[in-house]
Amino acid sequence: MNVTDGNTVTFGDEFYSSQIELLLKKIEEIKLATKDKIVLDFKKTKHFDTLALATFINFEKDPRINSIFSEEILKDIDEFKKNIDYDEKAGGEISGFESFVLKVEDFFSQMKSVIILSADIFYYSYKAVFNKEGRKKGSVYQQMLLIGNNAVPIIFLLSFLIGLILSIQSAAQLRQFGASIFLVDLIVIGMILEMGPIIAAVIVAGRSGSAIAAEISTMKITEELDALKVMALNPLKYVVAPKMLAMTVCLPVLTIIANMVGISGGFIIGVLYLDLSPDIFINRAVSVMTLYYWYQSMLKSVLFSWLIVIIGVHFGFNVKGGAEGVGKAATASVVAAIFSVIITDALLSLIFYFEW
Amino acid sequence: MNTRNVIEIKDLTAKYDDRVILNKISLDIKKGEIFVILGSSGGGKTTLLKHIIGLLRPVSGEITVLGKDILKMELEEFEDVLKKIGVLFQGGALLNSMEVWENVAMPLEQHTKLPESTIRNIVKQKLSLVNLRHAYRLFPSELSGGMKKRVALARAIVMDPEILFFDEPSAGLDPITAAELDDLILDLQKKLGITLVVVTHELESIKRIADRILYLQKGQNIFCGTIEQAKALGNEEIDRFFGWKEKTKNI
Ligand SMILES: Nc1ncnc2c1ncn2[C@@H]1O[C@H](COP(=O)(O)OP(=O)(O)OP(=O)(O)O)[C@@H](O)[C@H]1O
Ligand SMILES: [Mg+2]
Repeated sequence: MNVTDGNTVTFGDEFYSSQIELLLKKIEEIKLATKDKIVLDFKKTKHFDTLALATFINFEKDPRINSIFSEEILKDIDEFKKNIDYDEKAGGEISGFESFVLKVEDFFSQMKSVIILSADIFYYSYKAVFNKEGRKKGSVYQQMLLIGNNAVPIIFLLSFLIGLILSIQSAAQLRQFGASIFLVDLIVIGMILEMGPIIAAVIVAGRSGSAIAAEISTMKITEELDALKVMALNPLKYVVAPKMLAMTVCLPVLTIIANMVGISGGFIIGVLYLDLSPDIFINRAVSVMTLYYWYQSMLKSVLFSWLIVIIGVHFGFNVKGGAEGVGKAATASVVAAIFSVIITDALLSLIFYFEW
Repeated sequence: MNTRNVIEIKDLTAKYDDRVILNKISLDIKKGEIFVILGSSGGGKTTLLKHIIGLLRPVSGEITVLGKDILKMELEEFEDVLKKIGVLFQGGALLNSMEVWENVAMPLEQHTKLPESTIRNIVKQKLSLVNLRHAYRLFPSELSGGMKKRVALARAIVMDPEILFFDEPSAGLDPITAAELDDLILDLQKKLGITLVVVTHELESIKRIADRILYLQKGQNIFCGTIEQAKALGNEEIDRFFGWKEKTKNI
């Protein structure tokens, strides 16, 4: 590459992409130096690569550059142009409003598929209670271990701490009014009606809801679900029903544990900090703890368990893409599960509180 | 309905969203034959297979498998049909959470009341058949691509199906293993009278095993018949596929 006369650059036999940067710099220099047209003389150039070719095409668009190409280059430029002559977007451009409409439509179609899916899950899980066919032996038991047993330590620890902290914070206030004994009401009702079911559901959503979504989405992208189907095994029976049954049993049990452990956190504060006698605390607790509260607590936890499974399965079945899709499905299922658990909890609490 | 036909398809049209993938495909597959589906990549072979085994639903058309119209039946009824067919997926599709032997045993455990010891013996026999005795206790993630395919084959034939579907059985296998797989396929056809529907690109294997072929081009059925008939037809793309006529313009 050499500049022959102020604004003409002549090239030799070869021009490869490694020289492009240098050339562009030179063009800039010439552009600054003169106002004339720049002439790039590629008449002798017979060897070049794709990046060089793409650069040549760009030169054609620059009004200040006049490039002279060899026959070889001209032929390849024609070929190249033919190969780039199609739209990048198959679906066409989408405007902001249209994409909003699409999102809303997508939400409703997702809702519809969730409802259909729930009906199917309930149907097959109900049948699975009486009929062991169509699933792996011992799979319900195995799922119970995974979902229930393995979650006990963390639920134990967290609900104890929450019971303890709730009690400490309120104890100070209650003591000022000489109403220490009401700590018992507060912690018993607070744990059984709200904190227990929520703590258990959030932990299980994080541990098992995401696991369900990840497992099912992986099975989907590796065609394992299709393989099950053509072996005349319904994935809803084989994969989902055991999880549904295990979850329906485990989450209420975990909730009972969370309730009791949380209350015992309150017991410790009541006895050690508020100087309530253990007898009084226990008597009061038993009398406050009506069956009606337990019924609400269990109702909530059963509903939460179904929400967690259905949401996990939904995101699992609708996975898009490869390994990245699995991660997204797991994350989305946890977020959606916790979100809907809290919404449902709020609705139920209002319904029970105002006795609608 | 001709009783010698195990699969009959009439005017099958299939779409993904709005794109027509299969356009009015009609074909019959006879009992005991090896039927090979060919065509360029993206031509709709896998899609056709998935429709025959009920994984996808067509826009219009009829599909009859083993004398039953699969589009007009309940899931439970269809599952009875599925128990008589075996499918080998393009990627194997083994259940990754189970050991090889459990994968192979699964259809037996789910659909038969055979005692555990009998099941294990059947599994052992099928694994020997595909030359994988040593893989009995391994997990799918511990197998090579070709081994996975062979385990999937063992699983597909464990119930002695009447029809066996293969999606590219020899893709990714070395020529020796691929040839052995062809032997195995011919053996299955001869000994058990199984009907085989195979999607493949391997010329060698097509020439060795195919009784009849179907050539799909962009979702159109452009030829269905024996290889000799295909040769006589003189269709340009088919000739090029088999290398019967050299492409003049070189790339
Ligand atoms: N899940 C899907 N969603 C949308 N389009 C799809 C989907 N699967 C396949 N297609 C499209 O359908 C067409 C046919 O695909 P198919 O998998 O049947 O091809 P094939 O003949 O099996 O090809 P190959 O030989 O490469 O396996 C392709 O154009 C593909 O883009
Ligand atoms: Mg395919």
